[in-house]
Amino acid sequence: MRVEDARLVTGGGKFAADWNEPGQLYGQFVRSDRAHAEIVSVDTGAARRHAGVKAVFTGADAVRAGYVKAPHGLNFPGVNGMQTRAPDRPVLANGKVRFVGEALALVVADSPAAAADAAELVAIVYRDLPAVVSPEGALGKGAPQLHEGVVPGNLALETEAGDAAAVEAAFARAAHITRLKLEVSRVAPNPMEPRACLVRHDPADGSYLFHVCSQGITTLRKQISTYTAVPEDKIRFELGDVGGGFGQRTPAYPEYCALMIAAKETGRPVKWVSTRSEGFVSDTHGRANIIDGALALDREGRFLAMRLDWVNDMGAYVSPGSPGHIRNTTTCMTGVYRIPALYAHYRVVLTNTTPVSSYRGAGRPDIAYVVERLVSQAAAELDIDAAELRRRNFIPPEAFPYKTPTGSTYEYADLPGLLDEALRHADWKGFEKRRALSKKRGRLRGLGISTVIENTGAGQAPKDEVELELDAHGTVAVYTVSKAQGHSHETTLAMIVSDALEVPLESIEVRQCAPERAHLIGGHTGGSRTTVGAGSVCHLAALKLVEQGRALAALELGVEPSQVEYAKGVFRSSESRRSIRLGELARKGSVSVVAEGKFGSTFPNGCHIVEVDIDPETGATEIASYSTVDDCGKVINHTVVEGQLHGGIVQGAGQIFGEHIVYDPDTGQTLTGSFMDYCMPRAGMLREIRAEERPTPSKVSPLGVKGMGESGCTASLPALANAVMDALRPIAVPHLDMPLTPAKLWNAVHAARKGGSH
Amino acid sequence: MYATHYVKAKSLAEAAKLVASNPEAKVLAGGMTLVPTLKQRLAKPSHLVDIGALAELRGITAKGGSVTIGAATKHHEVATSAVVKKAIPALAYLAGLIGDPQVRNLGTIGGSVANNDPAADYPAAVLGLGATVVTNKRRIAADDYFQGLFTTALEEGEIITQLVFPVPKRAAYAKFPHPASGYAMTGVFVAQTADGIRVAVTGAGPGVFRWKAAESALGKSPKAAALEGAKLDASEMNEDIHATREYRANLVRVMAKRALAKL
Repeated sequence: MRVEDARLVTGGGKFAADWNEPGQLYGQFVRSDRAHAEIVSVDTGAARRHAGVKAVFTGADAVRAGYVKAPHGLNFPGVNGMQTRAPDRPVLANGKVRFVGEALALVVADSPAAAADAAELVAIVYRDLPAVVSPEGALGKGAPQLHEGVVPGNLALETEAGDAAAVEAAFARAAHITRLKLEVSRVAPNPMEPRACLVRHDPADGSYLFHVCSQGITTLRKQISTYTAVPEDKIRFELGDVGGGFGQRTPAYPEYCALMIAAKETGRPVKWVSTRSEGFVSDTHGRANIIDGALALDREGRFLAMRLDWVNDMGAYVSPGSPGHIRNTTTCMTGVYRIPALYAHYRVVLTNTTPVSSYRGAGRPDIAYVVERLVSQAAAELDIDAAELRRRNFIPPEAFPYKTPTGSTYEYADLPGLLDEALRHADWKGFEKRRALSKKRGRLRGLGISTVIENTGAGQAPKDEVELELDAHGTVAVYTVSKAQGHSHETTLAMIVSDALEVPLESIEVRQCAPERAHLIGGHTGGSRTTVGAGSVCHLAALKLVEQGRALAALELGVEPSQVEYAKGVFRSSESRRSIRLGELARKGSVSVVAEGKFGSTFPNGCHIVEVDIDPETGATEIASYSTVDDCGKVINHTVVEGQLHGGIVQGAGQIFGEHIVYDPDTGQTLTGSFMDYCMPRAGMLREIRAEERPTPSKVSPLGVKGMGESGCTASLPALANAVMDALRPIAVPHLDMPLTPAKLWNAVHAARKGGSH
Repeated sequence: MYATHYVKAKSLAEAAKLVASNPEAKVLAGGMTLVPTLKQRLAKPSHLVDIGALAELRGITAKGGSVTIGAATKHHEVATSAVVKKAIPALAYLAGLIGDPQVRNLGTIGGSVANNDPAADYPAAVLGLGATVVTNKRRIAADDYFQGLFTTALEEGEIITQLVFPVPKRAAYAKFPHPASGYAMTGVFVAQTADGIRVAVTGAGPGVFRWKAAESALGKSPKAAALEGAKLDASEMNEDIHATREYRANLVRVMAKRALAKL
């Protein structure tokens, strides 16, 4: 059991919607029911007159407050000196709506029911505009313009990475070129906990207190401050548990800032709890990338160069969580391979759709999918074993630390060793036998592999700080500004401190984003960075506490600090008969230490091997086996690591086999706005994961850990897709984009068989 | 949801009276469709008349070659009923495939049949077995009851009280669930009855229907091969973002074969 389990499984969790403030009011957002329209007028009269309604706010109020400059992180140099064109986004839409679900008014009432009833009375006159939901369509001539004059051609940024000329030269002398156009589909992250936010304004000091589902206060505070110009020290948080995030809980949403206006104007705390239906259209989406890729090989199957042309759909605005789509896909562009020449071209496009932000991996699964699909496709085209082609092109162990052609530096990975173990573990050689058995049962069996690496850790924070506070009972409080959304910080961070102090786990209490320690610096939980960053600093802080304790103990014992030894929570000296327990140092008041550290990227890597059985009569895919060998560095808690891995793998399986946000191409309406149409993965989809650890300690942090919260997802997308495409290869089905639904697979099998018969 | 009046009916007669005197009232049984509809503000009934707990609408009995199931009987009760398992195991099996454990412990057979969702499972059994829908006013043969997408022979204020299933010689159900909703993308119920073979299809078309070409083909030769040539017009199937008409037509044939194999 994890430390947090007893509380969470017995209903003791306190989530954002569980917070209440005396005298609170309830907010209901009025959302656009169309994808693109001018707002001719918003008549709030009837809503204001509705019983229980205290106020109604609109885009005019957002503009009056000056809450219009949405923060973004898309700070990459564009081609020909182009700068990111980030349009304004008033926290309540003003003048125009640009996607179905965009909030344009906020009704505040003394009950949720009154607010919901009154929201229907807000009368909006729209002038409809043609909508564009396809990113390639949005780039086309004559496409509807979302932000006239600000984002010409709907192109928010055009940027590039790598060496175009070197790639062109390599392609010119290639013996073989593999080409694939791939879509990494748009998905709704759907954390279990719907979004919720309660804001209280204190007129005495002009501060705002938030109870909100968050991945960490530092990033959210900075973004809210950027959006509203309210100073960061006036933005406070009191947080409880968070039921899932996946990146979607990081950014400052316009709704939060609109609630600030409401709390200030009404003088009462205002609470908003999203419904799942609202969440589908207003929580940021993930992925949504289209990639035209080409891989050049020589006669021996050695990779010469790779060229990728990206169209990154950002939805209607540039979200603060979007930079990973470029940064991480550049950092890991070469994958696990020595590819001498790389070039990527990106066009970041705005469409009449829900804004897109980070989602578990934030570009890492996308690039792994592209590279690993290209490699397996090349292996098939050249009739080389997919594992052998990988081995032939691996970055060799002696080449580490490896500087990639796109400028990142990978830390050590033993890729051939990893592959060998994975092939044995999955009985790669025995596949043809199993394929033959499946064939007898009328099934199409496929074998898929992915070998992946990714950058984890690091982050935008200047450093990570952790404070330890020791009390007279010997209890050590661990203060961090990172925030678990299901990650087990209370277990993992406590174990790190407990190990370093050699004291029982029960004497450690992890306190995340505590209001009284809000000044601590550090990254939010995202990008698989918490154990690498905050975790390492927990270790350093514990060592610092021992050192500080040694000096205090020396005073008490009347000896020199160098004469004091520490073990298992007790200070002793051979010069004294007395010993001093850790807690005794805090008899006259708690003892605190603050430690800090700045750690770069770690590079977890792994090999996932999947077998699938497809029923050609129905198109249904069964995952017959799933084997993994992962190097996530030193493992602190095996259950936690396994849980992260499993969750990531199944999240990838969800995207490959079912999850997909679909818009009506003409109206821009969401066609998959509920779980009736949006296919979440079920537990039965993947019944067993045979996971092996093959740790290589990282040198980046003192713990030797590597961030691994996203690696399962990164590896599973390509491994699963490769397995399905391998199953369909004997009947010559060309590349299929995710989601690989039964209907899509049946159509493809049916078409291939029909085509083959004449 | 909108404000409404919730009334827990004490008897069927009281429920019928309430519904008759309040044209905007809705009967609530398990609420598996109605409650989500209310939560999304897609319905605004004046009253919710809850008949889910009425003893007179519950229970399962077998007598004289038929099984009678009270309209408010939960799916889980049908799925685990010794009576149903013995008399019509395919019906118990079908009930065990509906939704998830939560749904099966709340949803009722009468609610499902009254709603007639085109992808619901029960209509396939009711039509496939040639059951009788008993209401507080009359008895309706299954062949007359289902009238397409969410449409039935029920009149305003008419409440289903029982489903009477004749016990077939043999019956089987094969379902391909919708990957997202778990409803039937296509479900085929095949029954060998005293009057011959009946094949009922749910999920594929705008409402549950009998695949009569398959019935006559199987009447001549009750083998899977007979289904190969049975006429099925794909253009009459549903098409949406999840599946084409052709795919659903294929599933009808495949699921019919699989049901037949289980007979």
